[in-house]
Amino acid sequence: MERASTKGVLGHLSLLETQMRSCRGKHQQLNRTEQLKAKVEALCVQKEQLKVELHTLQRLQKVRSTLDGNGADDEMDDDSENADILQLMAKCARLKDLLHAHHLIGGYDVVKTRQDKGLCITLTTAYEGIYLDTYHLEMDLSPKLRISRHDIPPFIPLNSLVETTTQTALRPFLDFLSQHLNAFTGRKQQLKLVKEQHKSVEVMESNVLCSVLVLLVRVPERKLPVLCILDYTDHSRSLPTGVKFECDDEPPNFEQWKKSCRILLERPVHKALITMKSLGCIV
Amino acid sequence: MEKMSVENKEQVEALEAQIESLQAEVEELQRQKQDNQLDWFHFKGHTREAMMFLCKQRPEQRKQTLVSKLIEEGEELEEDLKQQTQMNGIVLNGITTKTLQSSSRNLIQQICISGHCSDLVFNVEFKLSEVKEADRSERRITEMNVVLDSFEKQNFSIFLSGVEESRDLPLFFRTLRTFSDRCGDRSRAFLHFKDKFPSLVSVPGCCRSEVMTLNHPQIPSFMLFFHWTINVSAEGAVSPHIDLLTKIPKEALKLFPSQPVGGASEAFHSLQRILGTEAAMESIIRAVGLFPDNQSECEA
Repeated sequence: MERASTKGVLGHLSLLETQMRSCRGKHQQLNRTEQLKAKVEALCVQKEQLKVELHTLQRLQKVRSTLDGNGADDEMDDDSENADILQLMAKCARLKDLLHAHHLIGGYDVVKTRQDKGLCITLTTAYEGIYLDTYHLEMDLSPKLRISRHDIPPFIPLNSLVETTTQTALRPFLDFLSQHLNAFTGRKQQLKLVKEQHKSVEVMESNVLCSVLVLLVRVPERKLPVLCILDYTDHSRSLPTGVKFECDDEPPNFEQWKKSCRILLERPVHKALITMKSLGCIV
Repeated sequence: MEKMSVENKEQVEALEAQIESLQAEVEELQRQKQDNQLDWFHFKGHTREAMMFLCKQRPEQRKQTLVSKLIEEGEELEEDLKQQTQMNGIVLNGITTKTLQSSSRNLIQQICISGHCSDLVFNVEFKLSEVKEADRSERRITEMNVVLDSFEKQNFSIFLSGVEESRDLPLFFRTLRTFSDRCGDRSRAFLHFKDKFPSLVSVPGCCRSEVMTLNHPQIPSFMLFFHWTINVSAEGAVSPHIDLLTKIPKEALKLFPSQPVGGASEAFHSLQRILGTEAAMESIIRAVGLFPDNQSECEA
């Protein structure tokens, strides 16, 4: 203060400034504690909430395992608050899970439409553990069984199939369809895997139905090219029904090619090629 | 002023420590929640509302409306499941799901499904991994393990090891169902003949029997057997095969050393090709029972 009086107006101003600054600092400190307190409060609320959620989940789990038949029975007389809601929830969750399981095992997903006059069916395909394309059918059930819309590839004779199907025997029809679709996606997937895994094998020809596959392989001796023709006459299978080899030069080692033929008839082509390579039949 | 600032500093430190411990607790709880088998994935629609109600996040919700909504949802789901079960011919009893790994991009679950297809009881365990990429996701089954509990499990042994290796879950269930349908055909045929020719035909064992016996009451030592097996190939193709076997005393064979009895099975197969399975069986039964055509035992 004394210094201020001696230094005049400027000094006074600078004094005011320092006072302001210390005041703001104190204020900031207060603000910081407020903030931290708020955070603690928020965390406490979150913690409580999580505890409630966890507790509810655990109770639900208990009810659920009783429903599944592997929980202890004495847990059933849970007459605590909202036990009825828990029961209903566990039931819904179980039903949803079972529907999901039907989907996973490749079941036909069926939805009734237009007051039960129509059906929407989804067919899943899978090959070697990988779920692939799904196909859909929309059917009229009455007055006559009829397919109104679908995305099934045209080479499957759907309409002639439907004519032999009755409303009560939808399953054999769907089984047939599913077998064909799975075989088709299986062949398609094999072709994809051959292209990915076997750079030394050239795919010369294939068709949309994947029922013919012509591969160019090379034998170890002088790298002679040999055409390998796979014929998938049975469209309900993903393995070939016939294998032929064609070679411009002298006929190759007969015994070895007979063995290769057998391998190609018994195994999916991408795997058969691996075996043939390891046996030294091709490079 | 000095004193106050020290006090404040202490307070800030205490609060910070408290926050740290709270954060650790929250994290632990979140981890526990994630580990719980029932994850939030289940809670959609009304179940999600119910969960929020139970967790007191929605005090304004009326309990009665919620209960009736849940009952309605349960009924709809039950109807769906009934339809799915009927369509697939496979009854599922239980599924347990355990999440092994979960992130925004991929999800790995250990799944165990149990159920039955007529009286073939199964238990399938596998790992399902789901990888999300841009606009599509790939689902893949790894490490599949099948337990089949039935009389017919030996028919499946080759197929089962193949299907476990190729992890083709849908193929397993398609084959299981076709097999069960063919078994149904067989037991229906056996039952039909047993009803039509009760004194000649007997089916030893339960309805799953592979054998039907023909025995004329007046010639007890002479017997014919239909051995009807259902084979499952490694690829999963199901094919029935019927053999006709004979049991004739040696003395009788000495008297009639001619071919027909010895080549019974072959003869039956050509008959089967011409007439079809059931008609071929019926004509054999008629021959054994000495019944004229188009007459059942009761009329004769």
